[in-house]
Amino acid sequence: MHQFGFIAIFMVLAVLVPVSMLLIPYALTLAGIKPHRPDKVKNDTYECGVRTVGGSWVRFNFRYYYFALSFLIFDVEAVFLFPWAVHARQLHWFGFGAVLVFVAIITVGLAYEWRKKALEWK
Amino acid sequence: MNVGVAASIAFWIMAIIAVVSALAVIVTRDIFRAALFLILAFLTVAGLFITLSADFVAAVQVLVYGGAISILLIFAVLLTRDVQKGNPSNRMLKPAVFLGALFAATLIVVITNSTWKLSGDSPPQGTTAAIGDALVNSYVLPFEIASVLLLAAMIGAIVVARGRDE
Amino acid sequence: MPIRDYYLLSPEISLASIAMAVILLDTVVKRKGLLAIFTLAALALPLAFTISLWGEEGRAFGGLLIVDQFSIFFKFLFLGVTAAVVIASQDSVTNFKRFQGEFYALLLLATSGLMLMSSTGELITIFLALELSTLSAIALVTFFKTDQAVEAGIKYLVLSGISSAMMLYGMALVFGVSGSTRLEEIAQAVGTTRLLDNPALLMGMLLMVAGFGFKISSVPFQMWVPDVYQGAPTSVAAYLSVASKAGGFAVILRVFYVAFAGVSMEWSMLFAVLAVVSMTFGNLIAMFQSNIKRLLAYSTIAHAGYMMVGLAAVAARNPIGEGLGTQGLLFYLTGYAFTNLGAFFVVIAVAQKLKGESIDDFAGLAKRSPLLAGLLALCLISLTGLPPTVGFWAKLYLFSGAVQADLVWLAVAGVLNSAISAYYYLRVVKAMYMSPAASDERLTPSPAISLALLVTTGGVLFFGFAPSYLLDFAVRAARGFPG
Repeated sequence: MHQFGFIAIFMVLAVLVPVSMLLIPYALTLAGIKPHRPDKVKNDTYECGVRTVGGSWVRFNFRYYYFALSFLIFDVEAVFLFPWAVHARQLHWFGFGAVLVFVAIITVGLAYEWRKKALEWK
Repeated sequence: MNVGVAASIAFWIMAIIAVVSALAVIVTRDIFRAALFLILAFLTVAGLFITLSADFVAAVQVLVYGGAISILLIFAVLLTRDVQKGNPSNRMLKPAVFLGALFAATLIVVITNSTWKLSGDSPPQGTTAAIGDALVNSYVLPFEIASVLLLAAMIGAIVVARGRDE
Repeated sequence: MPIRDYYLLSPEISLASIAMAVILLDTVVKRKGLLAIFTLAALALPLAFTISLWGEEGRAFGGLLIVDQFSIFFKFLFLGVTAAVVIASQDSVTNFKRFQGEFYALLLLATSGLMLMSSTGELITIFLALELSTLSAIALVTFFKTDQAVEAGIKYLVLSGISSAMMLYGMALVFGVSGSTRLEEIAQAVGTTRLLDNPALLMGMLLMVAGFGFKISSVPFQMWVPDVYQGAPTSVAAYLSVASKAGGFAVILRVFYVAFAGVSMEWSMLFAVLAVVSMTFGNLIAMFQSNIKRLLAYSTIAHAGYMMVGLAAVAARNPIGEGLGTQGLLFYLTGYAFTNLGAFFVVIAVAQKLKGESIDDFAGLAKRSPLLAGLLALCLISLTGLPPTVGFWAKLYLFSGAVQADLVWLAVAGVLNSAISAYYYLRVVKAMYMSPAASDERLTPSPAISLALLVTTGGVLFFGFAPSYLLDFAVRAARGFPG
């Protein structure tokens, strides 16, 4: 349990650093050290130095969603396999068999997706 | 400071963040920001699982919800038309708030007034191996059903998401 | 794990394997019409396993799988319904060039979920099996991808998601109180506690009823029914109204019978109230429907109400389950399966030719196709509960079970409701026989749908004249329950 204390400290630092980055310029403005003169060019979106064209809200290709769905399913599969994997030797052949059946069933789905060309970018 | 006190401080901080960000999901008009708040709520719930000594469930929460579900959510938002217009207002708001509050109040009363079956054992250190053992031995039947369920989800996703003319 | 465990699970294993074989075949076979024939022929395999299991009793996989006559009864029912639905969907599914295997595969996966639901005594397994059947059904509802179908699919998805979440919360509360997810251990922990002394138990039970109530389409979890039935392919609507509902009842019977036997009086009252509300609501709204699928949707809500009379009767007896309650309910579910499938199949046959599903489209059907009109009239008479049909005996057994359990008021409510339902069922019959037809063109149903109609309406008539065969079967299934 106490190992998670390190993660907690890390999380706190991870929040503190960017928040302080935002607060420092604000504090400097309040203290009168940093000038505050916004203009059109300064407030423009910075896109690698190239002038921005059009809105940033573009509808994405629907294909992305297929991949996100497949990713989700295989992610869940990995989650199921993980606890078996850390302990595989102690779970013997029966555990291996159970996992093999599990993977085989998912593989049927993968083969199906592949043959239906759901994994292709057309 | 001992571990128990630190854990309960962490619990309350994360519980407050979880509830506030969950509220922000429904209050925020901008769907994209609502999605980001939802992801924050998922991640703090993972933290709550850690304070309950459920380390594997916490990892799953980060992996599946923080990873895959978040991606799916963001994609869904990006695929939506007229996202900038935001969430339309809804005249069912008041009854929904009322019913939600009623449900929450009922649950609080129920939870505080019930006798729970408590285990006297101390929480296990590291639950992953025990879960792996349960998955392939005593719970092998639901484990395999889960794989069939994932298969049905794959087929269903392709059927539902296919083009209209096919 | 001994070999016997796999033998006890063989119907489900073979069914899921066939589903996988079908989608894999779909990716290599050019003539998609073969898939339906393959599916139908392959269904003989799980059927054979189920027949060979008849008479067996046993537990497998650490007690998670329970095979008894009760679960085998349901497996027969699900397999029969699936076969009939496969035959009846043939014509509409062959219109698709690329996506045919999916339809049959999803149907088989949904059925394997239902079969698992009927034969498990553990909450996590129940949840997964229920989700398997629901998830497959969502994809089936959306299958045609018309605007209506997509709307129906979204409604079904969202509402089933909410009800599953509530059910899961209920299971968690029950687990918190009892410390186990196995029904027998829950029963030990629950004992005969008064529910108000431990509100979490009451709350958990109510939330679980919400999840199961969605499956059986009982009020107040019925909102999805009319829209989904209207938007879904008609054969899928038929499947949902019969198989899905039977699966819900199988789970309710097992969960409440085994885990909550000690508090049976409380849930007897709960189901009695839900029964009256459901049947009255369904029947009253059904009177104002002009679309035949919506009419059948409200009628199925009403029938969920009649069936819950059986649940109330089961629970009101002491010791629990004595008397006609369980077998009456099993008989009713089977009789309703034959009848409602028959009614939906006539709708398919008519809609194939006329492209319409409103009651006006059935006007003068008696002249255009005396056979179809006669069969629909038969099914509607059976739904009303008049002789010489199976529906009559079903209602008779169910309501006498209620009387036997001292729930006379409930039986009276059921009979009154049946009288109300006669009004809208017979309105369709009147339209078919008394109204003039729009044209004189003859309607001949396709061979596939004729076969499906022969089987289902044949059952309605056969068990109408000889109910004892079905009743013996139901009695045997109910005897060893909960085993």
